Amino acid sequence: MTRTQIIVARLALLALVLGAWEVLPRSGAINPLLLPPLSEVLATLANLLGRPNVHEAVAVTAAEVIVAFIIAVPLGAAAGILIAENAYVGEIFKPMLFYVFSIPKSIFLPMFILVFGIGFQQKVAYAAFTTAFVVLMSATAAVESVRSDHIMVARSYGATQTQILLRVYVPSMMPVLLETLRISMIFNFTGVMIAEMYASRTGIGHLISNWGENFQMPQLFAGVIMLATVAILFNEAVRALEARCSTWRT
Amino acid sequence: MRWPSPTTVRRLILVVILALWEFVPTTGLLPELFLPSLSKTLTVLWIDRHIYFAALLVTLYEVALSMLIACGLGILAGAVVGGVAALRNLLLPIFSSLYAVPIVILYPVFTAWFGIGSQSKIAFAGIYGFFPVMLSTAAGIRTIDPQFLLAARSMGATLPQLVTRVIIPASLPTVFAGLRLGGALTIIGVVVAEMLTSSAGIGYLVTLNRTILDSPRVFAAILAILVLSIAYYMLARALESRMIVWQSVGRQQKSSAPTSPAAVAAPAAA
Amino acid sequence: MQHLANMRDVQGRADQAAIEVERLSHVYAGADGGVPALQDISMSVRAGRFVVIVGPSGCGKTSLLMMMAGLRHQTEGTILCHGRPIPTPDPTRVGVIFQEASLFPWLTTLDNIEFPLSLRGTPREERRRRSQAMLSLVSLEGFGERYPHELSGGMKQRVSIARGLVQDPPVLLMDEPFAALDEQTRMTMGHELLRIWSTTRKTVVFITHSLTEAVYLADDVLVMSARPGRIIDHIEVNLPRPRTYEMMATDVFGKLRDRIWQQIRRTT
Repeated sequence: MTRTQIIVARLALLALVLGAWEVLPRSGAINPLLLPPLSEVLATLANLLGRPNVHEAVAVTAAEVIVAFIIAVPLGAAAGILIAENAYVGEIFKPMLFYVFSIPKSIFLPMFILVFGIGFQQKVAYAAFTTAFVVLMSATAAVESVRSDHIMVARSYGATQTQILLRVYVPSMMPVLLETLRISMIFNFTGVMIAEMYASRTGIGHLISNWGENFQMPQLFAGVIMLATVAILFNEAVRALEARCSTWRT
Repeated sequence: MRWPSPTTVRRLILVVILALWEFVPTTGLLPELFLPSLSKTLTVLWIDRHIYFAALLVTLYEVALSMLIACGLGILAGAVVGGVAALRNLLLPIFSSLYAVPIVILYPVFTAWFGIGSQSKIAFAGIYGFFPVMLSTAAGIRTIDPQFLLAARSMGATLPQLVTRVIIPASLPTVFAGLRLGGALTIIGVVVAEMLTSSAGIGYLVTLNRTILDSPRVFAAILAILVLSIAYYMLARALESRMIVWQSVGRQQKSSAPTSPAAVAAPAAA
Repeated sequence: MQHLANMRDVQGRADQAAIEVERLSHVYAGADGGVPALQDISMSVRAGRFVVIVGPSGCGKTSLLMMMAGLRHQTEGTILCHGRPIPTPDPTRVGVIFQEASLFPWLTTLDNIEFPLSLRGTPREERRRRSQAMLSLVSLEGFGERYPHELSGGMKQRVSIARGLVQDPPVLLMDEPFAALDEQTRMTMGHELLRIWSTTRKTVVFITHSLTEAVYLADDVLVMSARPGRIIDHIEVNLPRPRTYEMMATDVFGKLRDRIWQQIRRTT
């Protein structure tokens, strides 16, 4: 398939899905109370975007996402690099990592709530907690992805540790770092959402949860579309950046 | 000074954690509200064991059914999308873009549609697990050495024989990885869903007891979930280690999935 | 090594070629008319001969071999194996050995060798008997229960050869089977292959990039031109058999090699 064929096919697929979303509820094939037609959802979305309480919720969520990210990334990265670089520490913790990843970290939410209450700090702390693990894992993988033969070549030419770090590790890891940040942000967003939906009085997650409880389906779907769009846009933007930086990657 | 072996250190860490869990609350360093002591947690777990057991059964039931969706559909879809080039080029980028969306925001939709019973959990956790399993299987299918197919054809294998005698055995490691991933994710999905809105299940017990500030019971439920997820992981690894023969399958290109952060991070989720 | 029915047929008609290629051409379909890969190739391989095909990269030698094996279809011309065409792969008539051994990692050595037999539903006992015989033939007795990842490169190729021979096809096609091995292993394997060949008296068509290997192994060397591939020379190697390493140092050997090299150089 050529590039244009693929793009056309995808657009057709999208049109099909969106079209079904409009036609099926309108025709009554699907209960419009359960799944409002797309046009209604979009109208609601336009309406919501003008509301101040929605603006507030978005601001709160955005703040939580950013702060949690800023906290999680350095912590997770430092731990991940330590595990990757120090063989002893690595051997201790690496086997544990897999167990840790299988555990649903949402079970620790009550602990955060007990300590921080229901508020900004709790959500940020929880999201940072879950994101840090993802960053840790990715950082470990990123450091280990730097080829040892590249390092050996640099060393054989007399490069100092700093030089090796800056001239071999960083360029080698750049695309991987971007991917790490991208994936971490996905989980960060998820973490914030879970915290907001679980026990919160503010934020988009809380709004969505509320709309769901009150069967306000148009608003619920509008909120979902809004969040999904933001998430996807961010993801694709970073992906484009990754592609730019990784032309040399096989 | 000789450093102790990593295994010893790990065990020590575990012991220290358990010890802290016991002594920090009982000595008053942290209020019992924040962290009930280990002994209290275990006592309460024992006293209410029927309740916890019943809740675990509900959770396991939901996990089993959502695994059917996530792994069954996910592996099938991943094999087809990953194996057929036209589908792969068309659909895979779409699916990996969708992966960026926090699926949890869809959960209220499921509760509105299916109520707060098991159905909504199963639907949610099924979808939650579906995407990563599908993506992982699609990637894994591509690591199968095409030379195998050429060799089998040269030996006169018919199409059904190619599928049953070559493709299926060659893709078993990928399938097992998908099962392990799917199970971990569905457990996470079910627990999250039960914690959010539910009437039964072990996650529900967490939320219920939290709202009445019964910390020991909250932690008893947390402990039960910890045991469940760790037990699952160990079971999955034990089964997989039987397949160790294929760990050294040739033609696993170093640049493919295993070392990328995306693949590594996949099970972390919530 | 037992002689089976089909071998007697071959010997019965001593003048019938094991492989007869007549006016074969192949064009790869492409957006702009297509790429000619092979051009008007005709060759006749007598039964029991060891024929080596050499040529520059991309000249189509592998494609030609695939067509002889029934894995690919030519756009023009015919290929006959003992008088009959080969529309689909038939391991009872033509065994194929690739550069990559492609042993199935989930099967033991013996299971790998028997694989073609199990595809045809041969009973278990017979399968075991034949695969054990092949295992001995390639000097790997005792390794039957090992898995491929426990074998070295050379051993894997030997298993691959055993697998190709297990249905006793009169013809063996080999596409650079030793290219992935180090030089020393290559030389040993070449020697082994000649031993197996002289014991079983198969017809072998062997592709290689190594001119030394070509002269060492072959009765006949066919030189192909660059794309589109044609046969530009047929060199008979009259060195006595069994071939020895010492022959490689002789004048005759060197001249043969040189002739091949000059032909290839001229065509690229």
